[in-house]
Amino acid sequence: MSASTTIEETVRDLLRSRAPLAQGRADLPDDLRLGAGGLGLDSISMVELLLDCERRFGIKATGLLEGAPLTVGRLAAHVREAVQG
Amino acid sequence: MIAARRTFDALERGLEPLAMRHPSLALAGADALGRLRNRLSRRWPSPQQIGILFPHLDRRAAARVAWSLGALEARNRLLVACIERAGLEPVRPMVRTPPDAFAALRPPLVLGTFHVGAVQALGAVIERLPGPVLILRQGLLYEPCPPVEIASTEGDDQHRAASFRRALAHLDNGGFVVLALDVVQGAGLQVACLGRTLELARGPFALARLAGAPLVPIVARWRQGGVEAEAGEALAVDTTLGPAAWEGALAASAGGWLERYLLESPSELGLGLLRILLA
Repeated sequence: MSASTTIEETVRDLLRSRAPLAQGRADLPDDLRLGAGGLGLDSISMVELLLDCERRFGIKATGLLEGAPLTVGRLAAHVREAVQG
Repeated sequence: MIAARRTFDALERGLEPLAMRHPSLALAGADALGRLRNRLSRRWPSPQQIGILFPHLDRRAAARVAWSLGALEARNRLLVACIERAGLEPVRPMVRTPPDAFAALRPPLVLGTFHVGAVQALGAVIERLPGPVLILRQGLLYEPCPPVEIASTEGDDQHRAASFRRALAHLDNGGFVVLALDVVQGAGLQVACLGRTLELARGPFALARLAGAPLVPIVARWRQGGVEAEAGEALAVDTTLGPAAWEGALAASAGGWLERYLLESPSELGLGLLRILLA
């Protein structure tokens, strides 16, 4: 398993721990939204998830909440790129 | 009944131009109109409604509180019209809070308010806080002056998350965050208040927890033609509790503070909050 895959799987595990709708789901596709119409995370849970990512990976997860809807793939890619520089 | 309501509405609107030049005089006029309107209509609130929330008041005292709430609402309607037209400029001279009144408040700090008293005048009051201020509110009633900024909480969960994140960063950088505790847009926490159940927004309590910042209640009230503000003590909570229980306990503490404040000053209860408590 590559480092990239490990990072993205860890992000998905963090999601499973925060989003009841993600628990027990092996598949969390890239285009799945974190908020309404997707995993149903509310605003506070979204921020807590980003703080989880920052603590777990030692990165800054800023700017993700602005603009396009935040998806599983966008979050995972952001974390991967931040970790790998 | 409808004709009387329209007449009072027209009279209140007629005070708006006067309020731009002589706000204290116009607000005194609105106070008198609102009081008379409530005395004649005996509605919203009625003395009976006041009696439900404040059963220790006798009928005459409950009626006086109802008249005062009619006056408060009319004052606040005129104040909002004023702010929409000219921002906080007409409000600033009415603030009676001494410049050093908040010197003891040290950021990072979450200041939580309720829809009581002169809530719309708080914008002018918090300009006196000793540090940068971020207000989280629904919509933009006026353009703030630095070091006060406003972040809107309108929009979907992601927009609200962005505002919440901005507030966390503001606290991390040593600022004040001011927001209403009794406006629930997302998740809520139910607390006891005046023998009823009141839903408070979870956001302010989660914000205090995640930032490790105290939460202090702050309210404004009309006094002798001016506005006075009062900040309470930091709300106490058992720090050994887990996140959800901690937030619930802090919310309960806020509900208790509001109850004590209103028992002492029932005439400060806003009509919107009264409706929620009676629902």
